[in-house]
This record gives sequence, C-alpha cells and structure tokens, in this order.
Amino acid sequence: MRPRNLELSLLVLGTMVIVVAYVSLQLVDTPNVGANVAVFLGILVVLLLGAHLVIRYAAPNADGLLFPLAALLNGLGYVVIARLDPSLASSQSAWTFIGVGAFSAVLLLVPDLAWVANYRYTLALAGVGLLMLPLIPGLGRNINGAQIWIAVRGFSIQPGEFAKIVLAGFLAGFLVDKRELLAISNRKVGPLNIPDFKHFGPLLLALGVALMVMVLQRDLGSSLLFFTLFLVMIYIATSRAAYVVSGLLLFSAGSYFSWRSFDHVQRRVDIWISPFDDPKDKGFQIVEASFSLADGGLTGTGLGSGLPWKVPFAATDMIFAAIGEELGLLGATAVLAAFMFFVSSGFRVASSAPGGFEKLLAAGLTALLGFQAFIIIGGVLRVLPLTGVTLPFVSYGGSSLISNYIVLAILVRISDSTARAGQAAPVGRG
Amino acid sequence: MVVLLGCFTLLFAQLNRVQLFDAEALENNPANTRAAQRDFDQERARILTSDGVEVAVSVLVDDGPFRWQRAYPHNDLYAHTAGYVSFTVGAEGAERSYDDEIVGRTAGQEIAELTNVLNPNSDPGSVILTLRHDLQQVAKQQLGERPGSVVALDPRTGAVLAMWSWPSFDPNTVANINSAESNEAYSALLETEGNPLRARAFRDIKPPGSTFKVITAAAALESGHATLDEPVFEATTSYTSPLTTHAISNFGGRECGGNLVELLVRSCNAPFAQLAAETLGPFIMVNQAEAAGFNSVPPFDLVGGVSSVYPTDYGAQLQSPSEVSPAGLFEDTPLLAQTAIGQNNVAATPLQMALMIAGVANNGIVPSPHVMAEVIDANGQVVDRIEPEPWRSTMREENARILQQALIEAGQRGSGTAATVEGLVVGVKTGTAQIGGDPPKSHAWIVGFAGRPGEEFEIAVAVLVEGEQADGDQTGGRVAGPIARELFTTYFSDTSG
Repeated sequence: MRPRNLELSLLVLGTMVIVVAYVSLQLVDTPNVGANVAVFLGILVVLLLGAHLVIRYAAPNADGLLFPLAALLNGLGYVVIARLDPSLASSQSAWTFIGVGAFSAVLLLVPDLAWVANYRYTLALAGVGLLMLPLIPGLGRNINGAQIWIAVRGFSIQPGEFAKIVLAGFLAGFLVDKRELLAISNRKVGPLNIPDFKHFGPLLLALGVALMVMVLQRDLGSSLLFFTLFLVMIYIATSRAAYVVSGLLLFSAGSYFSWRSFDHVQRRVDIWISPFDDPKDKGFQIVEASFSLADGGLTGTGLGSGLPWKVPFAATDMIFAAIGEELGLLGATAVLAAFMFFVSSGFRVASSAPGGFEKLLAAGLTALLGFQAFIIIGGVLRVLPLTGVTLPFVSYGGSSLISNYIVLAILVRISDSTARAGQAAPVGRG
Repeated sequence: MVVLLGCFTLLFAQLNRVQLFDAEALENNPANTRAAQRDFDQERARILTSDGVEVAVSVLVDDGPFRWQRAYPHNDLYAHTAGYVSFTVGAEGAERSYDDEIVGRTAGQEIAELTNVLNPNSDPGSVILTLRHDLQQVAKQQLGERPGSVVALDPRTGAVLAMWSWPSFDPNTVANINSAESNEAYSALLETEGNPLRARAFRDIKPPGSTFKVITAAAALESGHATLDEPVFEATTSYTSPLTTHAISNFGGRECGGNLVELLVRSCNAPFAQLAAETLGPFIMVNQAEAAGFNSVPPFDLVGGVSSVYPTDYGAQLQSPSEVSPAGLFEDTPLLAQTAIGQNNVAATPLQMALMIAGVANNGIVPSPHVMAEVIDANGQVVDRIEPEPWRSTMREENARILQQALIEAGQRGSGTAATVEGLVVGVKTGTAQIGGDPPKSHAWIVGFAGRPGEEFEIAVAVLVEGEQADGDQTGGRVAGPIARELFTTYFSDTSG
C-alpha cells in the first residue's frame, strides 16, 4: 500500500479505537450517549484528516506509520485524562490542537532540514539557554519540587522539553561534522584511546552545562534522558563501543556521586528498592501504582470503573498505571507495542536517511522519545527509580505534547526527504 | 535500536509480573485499600422511615475521592438509629447492621438481581425503618437540649417507633468522603462533652428509680406472694432493713400502704423495700429482673447495646426462711431492699425500661426490639422483612393485666397524671432516681403504654431526662411525663384516621 493510503487506513482504525474508548467511558455514568460523542468524533476527524491532508501536501512520500501511532497514543491518553479529570481534558484538547498545528506548521514551512546542521553552535547556545530560562528569578516556577517551569501569561511552560530537540539538533550537527575525527584516537591515556580534545571539547562543554543545569533544577528524568541521548548519538556517529562504555562508566560515577550528595536522589533510590517499607508516605505513589496495575489484571477494570485517581499524578507521570488498571495488561501492552512500532519506524527513517545530519537527528530524536517512554514506564513498573518525565503523546501536559509533535514533524519530514532522494536517485548508491 | 527493543521487552516482562503473577499478592498487601474502597464507593439503598421520609440517600458528587457521598437530610435526628457510613471511621447504626442489605449483597437481593438481568436497573432500592418521623421529631423537640433519651416501641412487635438521645450529632460530618474532614469531625465529636456519638438510649445505663417497682410488683405476683387485693401492706413512713441503720423513706416522708395496686399508684418506697427484703428474697427478685431482660444484652438489631444491671450476689445466707421472714436473711439484704425501688447498683438503659414496660403492655411477653422493617428492591418488591419475635416471657397474662390496671390507675390519680391523654387508655410509672449532689439531683424517668379503649396497647415508651446537668431536683412525673404524653398524642393522632 502507498504510505499515504496506509496512513489513512490506520487513522480510521485509530479513530475507531479512540471513539470506542470514549463511548465506553461515557456509558459508565450516563446510560445514553448522544451529542457528546458526535461532537467528539467530529473534532477528532477534522483534526486527524486535517493533519493527514497536510502530510499529503507537504510530505507526500513520508512514512505512513508514525503519525497514526502518535495519534492513537494521543487519543488514548486524552480519553484516560478525561476519565481522570475532565478539567485537564479540556486543556489537553487545546494542547492537542496546538501540537497538531505545530506539526503542520513545521511540515509546511520547513521543506528541508539539512541546512540546520550549519547552525549547530547556535542550537547549542539556544538549547542551554532554554534550559536555563526557569532559573531566571521572576520567570521561573518551581512545581512539585522541580525548577523546570516558566510562567508566561498564566501558562506554565517547560522549556526543557523544547531544549531537548534543539540539543539533539546540535549533537547531530556537531557529530556529523566531527565524526571522523572522533572515530580516530590519537592520544592514549592508559588503556583508553582518547581523541584530540579540541574536537571533543565543545561537546563535553555543552553536555556538562546541560547536565549541570538539569541537576540544579532537580530534574533527574531529563538529565538521565539527555545523557542517554548523548550516548546513543555518539555511538551511532562513530560506531565506537568505547564511547558507550566510558559513557556508562561516567554515568555510574555521576549516579554514585549524586546518590551520595543529594538527599532527593537517595530518597528516590530507597523508594525504588523498598517502596513497601513506607507504603503510606514515601513509597505511596509507587505502591499505589503497583496496586493500580494489579487491580487491572489481564483485561482491566474497564474505563471509568477502576480507581486510577488514587495514584498521585495519575494524569501526568503515572498515566501508564491508569491505562494498565482500566485497560488491563492487554491495553498496556498495546501502548508498549505502539511505542515499539514508533521506535522501529523512527530508526528505519534514520537508517535510510540520505544525509548524515538527518540520519543522526532522526536516530537521536527517536531514541529520545523511546527512552523517555522507557524511563517513565520503567519508573511506574519499578524497573527503574521513578523520575518525573511525561509519557510521550499520552501524558497530560502542553509543553510535552507540543514538543513531541515537533519531533514527529521532523521525523516525517526526514522520511519524506529520504523517499524523494530515493526517487531521484533510485538504488545503487554504492 | 536493539537496546531500546530490549528495554521494552523488559517492560513487557515486568508488566506481566505486576499485572498477573504478583497481582494477587499485591491485592492482599495490607497497605492496599482498593478492595475496601471499591466496596465503599457505590450507590447505597435509601433509608426511609416507616412513614416514607428519606433518612439517608446517596448523592453523586463531581469530584472527591469517591463518586458517591452519603447524605443525611435530617442531620442529627437519626444519627443514633440510621447511623452513618464513613470510609474513614467506619459505620454505625442501621448503616452498619444492615450494610449487606443496603448495598444489595444478601442472597435474596442477588437472586432478585439475576431475574432482572434483562431489565437492568441501577436503582439500589430502599430499606424501611420501623421509626416514625413524626414521633422522632416530637421526641427531639420535647427533650430539647437536656441530656437524656426517648424510646418508643410497639409492645406487640418490638418495632422501635422512636429512639432519640441528646446530645446527638450531625452524621453528615463524619460521613464526609474527604477523609481528613471526616477524621477531624470524628475526633472533635469524641472530645465533645457528653460524647454525642454514643447512643445513650441503648448504650448507657442509669439507676431506674421507682420505674423498677413494676418488676418488684411482678415478682410478688409471679411468686404468689401477692394478688390484686392481698396482702394489704401496713401504712408506714419508712423501712429499715435488718443489718443496717439506714432507713428507706417514702417520698416526702408520707405514710404509704395498701394493696399492691395502691403501692404502685402511690409509688411507696418502704413497703416495696420490705416486700423484697423480707418476703421475696434474692432469688425471686433476680429471677424477675432477668425475666424482664436485665443482665442480658437485648437482641437489638443495632450494634453496641449493653446489658442493664440487676445485682445477683447478696452474700451468704445468715438466717433460713421463717414464718416472719420468708426471704431469710442475707449479708446484703439491705442492698436487696434498695434494689426493690431501683436504687443502689440497679442500672438500666432506656431501651431496657421500654422493653420491660412493653412486656407488661403485651400481656407478659417482651418482644425483641428492632429498627429495621423491610428491604425493598428497585421494583418495589419486598425482598426481606423483619418478623416480630418474642424475647422474654416475663409474667403470666393475668398478672400482666393486674399491673396494667395498676399503672392505668397511676396515670389517673398517681404520679403519672402528666402523661395521660383524654380518650386513650394510658398506663404509666414514674421514677425519680436520686443521684446525690448539692443541691440533690435526680434522673427523671417515666415508662408507660397507651392504647385505644377496648383495644390492644400499641405503644410503649421509656423517657429518661438525666439529672447530672439538670437545673435542680426534678421528678419523673413533672419532667418526663409531658414527653410521654406528647408521644402518645402524636402516635394516635396520626393513626386514628
């Protein structure tokens, strides 16, 4: 099937899933659902069809899986948020419109991405700048213990969500430029081969500053994510396992250091290891998440019939627990599968991308999104210590949703360029 | 890519562990309150009075930890009977005793639900109490802000028609689904003077004073030591039992004597004390008190009732029964003399005293008391009905009729005139139990029954206005009598039509 028609069919399927979920939620409280559902269906169709037409026009040869997967996750997340807190749902629908708008805008206004690589240092500065915005007195806001928000006209925005994209752009641009140099080691320190510092320096500087800022803001999830992004990208760029190994060693040292020096890190780790020691207070959130998931069992309690609101931050960080409780192992597995498909599609886009920059950018952004999902779902499932990041496309939150749609637009744009390059010079490149 | 796929596989494995393999252990974890919460968060059956007034309803709320909030439209009026249900502090009253019926968990209800599969109805049905809203309101209004209790029941069935105690409380506060507010309200009530949470009507015992003479008289009749006319007790002003110098005087130091009916009408102290101490003795007295329900917890359908106390140990026998003193003499015969008039260690709940007098009104049979009448399903079908059951056989019918006659006379010309109602047959016995203090204070009691001329007695009441906080000395006739009269009037004004 041609990618656009595949996309359309998948969107129809996804719409059906979302509408069925919405109707079943409505049925719990009211015996007859009428106008409400018609309006919801109407809005959904307009939104998805609109975006689909934009893709048809601006990126006709793009991958057909990415957008339907994102739409499915977004729609499912919306229904769960509506179930948890109707007042959040109305703002989430506004964020969704803005997110899809941003997605369309990127596709319509940016026909090509290769030029962005030239502005890599600008991107580095912009990324660090965005990260530091919440530290500006008067502008920054501390919400739930993390200084990662800024207040603009009554809205709380997390600039870090956008900084991640910008920094991924910097890394891609930098690494594509320097990868040969980084792959050669001309200096030996003990058993390690280390490339020339002048090639390596800007990278370490940007990484160091970014991580420092995140640690200062007590944003553990983002620091972990950004570091992972760095490792993934440098490995893809250089194919040298030594970077990953030394990165992991560095990470372990850093983790140990922050565990030793920061109370809040130590607390998180303690809760992770033994949440049931204090199920009513410190371990409350993660213990309730486990109870929530256990309640769901194989098929779930059904939307609107469980007690997912018992888990603190059910609509944001813990939304995967709510899905597991009310949609069961089957529903939660569907979400995991959607992320796996998304990640596979993203890497496929990356591997077939013609330009080195686009290849690296696509891989980086895909890894960013995939690891973000892993970090938060792993936190909910107690595979990792819980760190507060959103579940991409699913959790409540404007900054997260909009930035995810921008990532999606970049991936769609790159996949379209790939296909066009393929058509222009079919096969036999080597 | 491979690493990420590995990560997701790990998540999938852990998801299976949490949702399937460890699920049961997690559900049974002591910290897991979800089962209790699910159980709690459902629409409960309405609780109605027998005259159809809503006493407890479930209200759907928009936000909060639960979808359903239980509401009690009459605030404190049914706090001690319908009770409350709170996720935080538990349940009391009918909400507690009939939880299964109220949430539709009984076998009968589940079968009814099965037959309704084709016509699913979310209506949880109703449970109907035996209480009457008009009588409950009268009880509350008449007692006012005086600590005490009012109990009215149908002597034939044990159906409680009114049960009110002051101080009471607003169950809406403790039933708040917000657990912090519920806890706070509950703690505040626990610290409130007089403990409003406590249903005094069946949980607190107080000396019943002269109302207990009905039992002493019954003991004399049942043991054959007295009949309607015989013996005629010599008129005296006081009685001093052997082994003590403490005299038991008649009220106001008056001379008092005559046949058993006369003793009850005039509420003589000295002859009753002498009767118990010298003629009846401990065994007959203990037997009769226990036949009326003392020393047992009444089989009431509200939880937490206590047994009323009649002392059973009078020490060693010092003298065998003789012609002069058929009772013999015991170490504690002076105590026995005091118990005959409801003093010393005798103590009863208002519910017990209502049951005692119901036994008289019901010709010797004390009924089992209950507040629940019927359980009705969504279609108005009766799923369950509480059948009347006798509790105690307290005396022969002929003796019950003698006591009825005596108490009717007490209502006409004795201390209970304040309780009589024109056009009705009313029998009452007052009680004024002195509890000391300076100036001396007393509990004011009245027990009684009423019926239409020539018909069965339909209502039995016990009223206690407690003495600790009373302004001055109060007597049963003056203080408790009018409350009984209002109950009788209201009861018959409503059913006469």
